[in-house]
Amino acid sequence: MATPASHIRNFCIIAHVDHGKSTLADRFLQVTGAVEERKLKEQTLDTMDIERERGITIKSVAVRMNYTAQNGERYVLNLIDTPGHVDFSYEVSRSLAACEGALLLVDAAQGVEAQTLANAYKAIEQNLEIIPVINKIDLPNSDIDSVRRQIEDVVGLDASEAILASGKEGTGAIEALEAVIRKVPPPSGNRETPLRALIFDAKYDAYRGVIIYIRVKEGRIVRGSKVMMMSNGLKYEVAELGTFRPEITPSDSLEAGEVGYLICNIKTLQSTKIGDTVTDANRPAAEALHGYKEPQSVVFCGLYPAVANDFQELRDALERLQLNDASFTFQADTSDALGFGFRLGFLGLLHMEIIQERLEREFNLTLVTTVPNVAYQITKKDGSQFTIENASKMPPPGDIEVIEEPYIEAEIICPTEYLSGVIDLCKKKRGIHVRVDYLDAKRCIAIYQMPLAEIVLDFYDKLKTLSRGYGSLEYHLIGFRPGDLVKLDILLNTEPVDALSSIVHRDRAEWMGRQLASKLRTLIPRQQFEVAIQAAIGSRILVRETVKAVRKNVTAKCYGGDITRKRKLLEKQKEGKRRMKQVGSVEVPQEAFMALLRVGEDADK
Amino acid sequence: MTGIYIHVPFCRTICPYCDFVKRPIKGAAPDAFIHALTREIEAYDGDLDAETIFFGGGTPSLIAPESLATILDVLHRKFRIASDVELTLEANPDDITQDLLDHWKALGVNRVSLGVQSFDDEVLRYLGRRHDADGARRACGLVAASFLNWNMDLMFGPHPVSAYPATLAECASFAPPHVSSYGLTYEAGTPFGKRSHEAIDEDSYLRLYALTAESLRGLDRYEVSNYARSGFECRHNLRYWHNDTYAGFGPAAYSFLDGIRARNHVKLEKYLADPGGKCEALNLTRREIQIETVIQYLRLREGLSTIEYEKRFDSSLRSDFGDVLRALVSRGLLEETVEGFRPTAAGFELNNEIGLALVDAPVR
Ligand SMILES: Nc1nc2c(ncn2[C@@H]2O[C@H](COP(=O)(O)OP(=O)(O)OP(=O)(O)O)[C@@H](O)[C@H]2O)c(=O)[nH]1
Ligand code: SF4
Ligand SMILES: [Mg+2]
Repeated sequence: MATPASHIRNFCIIAHVDHGKSTLADRFLQVTGAVEERKLKEQTLDTMDIERERGITIKSVAVRMNYTAQNGERYVLNLIDTPGHVDFSYEVSRSLAACEGALLLVDAAQGVEAQTLANAYKAIEQNLEIIPVINKIDLPNSDIDSVRRQIEDVVGLDASEAILASGKEGTGAIEALEAVIRKVPPPSGNRETPLRALIFDAKYDAYRGVIIYIRVKEGRIVRGSKVMMMSNGLKYEVAELGTFRPEITPSDSLEAGEVGYLICNIKTLQSTKIGDTVTDANRPAAEALHGYKEPQSVVFCGLYPAVANDFQELRDALERLQLNDASFTFQADTSDALGFGFRLGFLGLLHMEIIQERLEREFNLTLVTTVPNVAYQITKKDGSQFTIENASKMPPPGDIEVIEEPYIEAEIICPTEYLSGVIDLCKKKRGIHVRVDYLDAKRCIAIYQMPLAEIVLDFYDKLKTLSRGYGSLEYHLIGFRPGDLVKLDILLNTEPVDALSSIVHRDRAEWMGRQLASKLRTLIPRQQFEVAIQAAIGSRILVRETVKAVRKNVTAKCYGGDITRKRKLLEKQKEGKRRMKQVGSVEVPQEAFMALLRVGEDADK
Repeated sequence: MTGIYIHVPFCRTICPYCDFVKRPIKGAAPDAFIHALTREIEAYDGDLDAETIFFGGGTPSLIAPESLATILDVLHRKFRIASDVELTLEANPDDITQDLLDHWKALGVNRVSLGVQSFDDEVLRYLGRRHDADGARRACGLVAASFLNWNMDLMFGPHPVSAYPATLAECASFAPPHVSSYGLTYEAGTPFGKRSHEAIDEDSYLRLYALTAESLRGLDRYEVSNYARSGFECRHNLRYWHNDTYAGFGPAAYSFLDGIRARNHVKLEKYLADPGGKCEALNLTRREIQIETVIQYLRLREGLSTIEYEKRFDSSLRSDFGDVLRALVSRGLLEETVEGFRPTAAGFELNNEIGLALVDAPVR
């Protein structure tokens, strides 16, 4: 029997990373009995291995709960737990579009941070009812009054009725659900008008194909009916539909206001567009719902099999992984140094790390990764224009009229005592000062425009270090701007190695070249022959470093059983060598291709 | 035909660089050990034809002559010992007396390996050895006078490094037919392991290594660290470098029989309770044996001949390892001869590179 819309609430939990969303969600699952007590673990909704290992949420998760409120009525609560990390903010946007309300969690000890603000604004823009929750009040250093003031002054929400909660101890969980019922409006859509359902996520399942996550906005959808995707007119029969409890649970229909899933024999994730509208094929709606932008890759890197023979395997792995996760892009690419491989696009550095890790782990591949870079727009003197996602594709300097690079606007929230450090860091990273606002007596927000490339390298780590963990960062792209950029090349035994090229600002090129060459000297192991490492801009050699040849490598004694022990030792050493890439006559370890990322490390210490 | 190795795990004092299995004792090797050893030999049921016997340690010169007689008696009863057997006993200079040497000769010992290490008192102190330079001279004189076939163990690398040329010169004055000279290693797990910063640099190492070969006139470097007058190569050790079989007795001793590389219990108590009990036994694959054989042969000046390999494995060296061996030739580590392959001078200095290339040679 369908629940009347008046007894449905769709809401999500949003917050800055680590403010306790998934832990509070555990308490909701517990008090509503949605998950059996014995199946409940910490952050139950973080189901991916990588989420559990790293203790962060990467994908939004929807779950349906039945709840008998204090007024005695039974409600269906559709909850979406969202990620807090900046790389995955597009997940938050999708989730918001499926809800009428949001719980905005703020860590009682940390206070309002950059993604608190960014996510709250997203919810405000979408007209969601926002319920502030001050979480982790069990922490000894929590400061509820100050956080309450921050929510009012900084976010601009009335915090007088903010819920005081501890996801860890369970305090405030019931109050939060009661507030959701009281304050979040029930879904408003008419159940009799033509179907309009928003696709807010999709997932690939090896047995069932693509599972589409939808929020039915208007009308109803029934099993066996014919639906149509409004972006491309493709029609499918609904093989199965249902809700998340939190496992997918089939039902006969989904009504306006409900959140659930659809399975209609779709084979690839690529053919499903997040943000698309599903309608009734026989009685289509006139207009699609307001969707959202596809997430855009901002960071790119090369990915090569350590052993050339594994190219086809790598391609298969990428295709398979993309079935599960359409958030990254890839295309075939070749490198003189590394051979056949791929260029991948990611939403951010953490996203890149995660995809790489999954490829190595889930597909058992040994990979060589090149240093990440952003995309550049090149205008040549002959007027032609194009975008490059790979430094080695840069035309000779003489042909270039202008190089443009992506800029972002960054909002950095930090305690005022760290402001001068933050400003120095932004300056060093070619930041353009926009303004600094004081959020209260102790905290401020610095707004800077900066080349994205500077953020990609090590900005976040540096920010965290200089602010002792209290600084937080949010950014969004604001477009391309010309930059005085040059290509920095690395030569090994006088041969340029394309995979080691990078695009850097002219003023820093020389410094960077020196740093990079000396870092490479420490990373490239000694070999039978001397290895010369040179950094160059065009034909100008900036610096030369040398890796001396190994002249002696011999076990003085080898008697009796020693040989078997020695063979095993050699095998182990060889295993290490397999992680090396033969570039010309030089064996280069994988880390060397990431050396640029580590250049700053020593220099700034 | 096989070789016999007997491990004697006792020393009077313990040298801080040494990673052999041994423990300090006051007097002679204890009866309990001799007893366990004889039991182990009696229980042996492998190849019974032996052409070499090697008493290593530890310090075999700590075995009392009567005990040595007992062990050899058991060996002779168990094995068919070749009439031209090579019977080596390792000795510490301090233990050598004319009386002892006479006993050994009478018992059939025909090769003595003397742990001299250096003729410099400072070096010997650095190494924590129990003898001094004069003790070494005295022992060398006695051994050289009594034995035609003997070995002098030397070491290069301990400080002061400058003493090594004089040690080599003094070594030559005793005209041993066989010399082993090892580069000192600061083995992890020994007291020296924490002092690895004292190790000499590669260039000095190679200089001293080259100096060894130059100074020992009349002796050829027939293995990475071993030098001999023609005909005096150590037959027992050649079995190791040819990856031939051997039967090991005593705690921690390895055996290699029927493709199984096994090791006796390392701890003396365990060994005494269960002589011949194994702590490890690896059944090597044919491929592993092939790889180990090639690696070992390529420690030798003579190298590995294709005929020898074919006789042993009934398979062709060039088809099993040709690509890797030729790549090593082009790297200057091996030379190809009409007979097969052998290491170059660089192939000695970078001998592990040869092993590295061979361990995962693609199977065809
Ligand atoms: N003391 C205390 N710790 C909490 C509480 N809630 C969560 N934590 C801890 O805070 C950390 C982050 O918790 P999560 O629930 O994973 O936070 P999250 O907001 O879901 O994190 P992301 O999804 O990665 O943004 C974990 O170590 C939790 O144990 C709480 O109420 N009190
Ligand atoms: S070097 Fe020889 S004498 Fe010294 S402890 Fe080792 S085995 Fe004993
Ligand atoms: Mg989470």
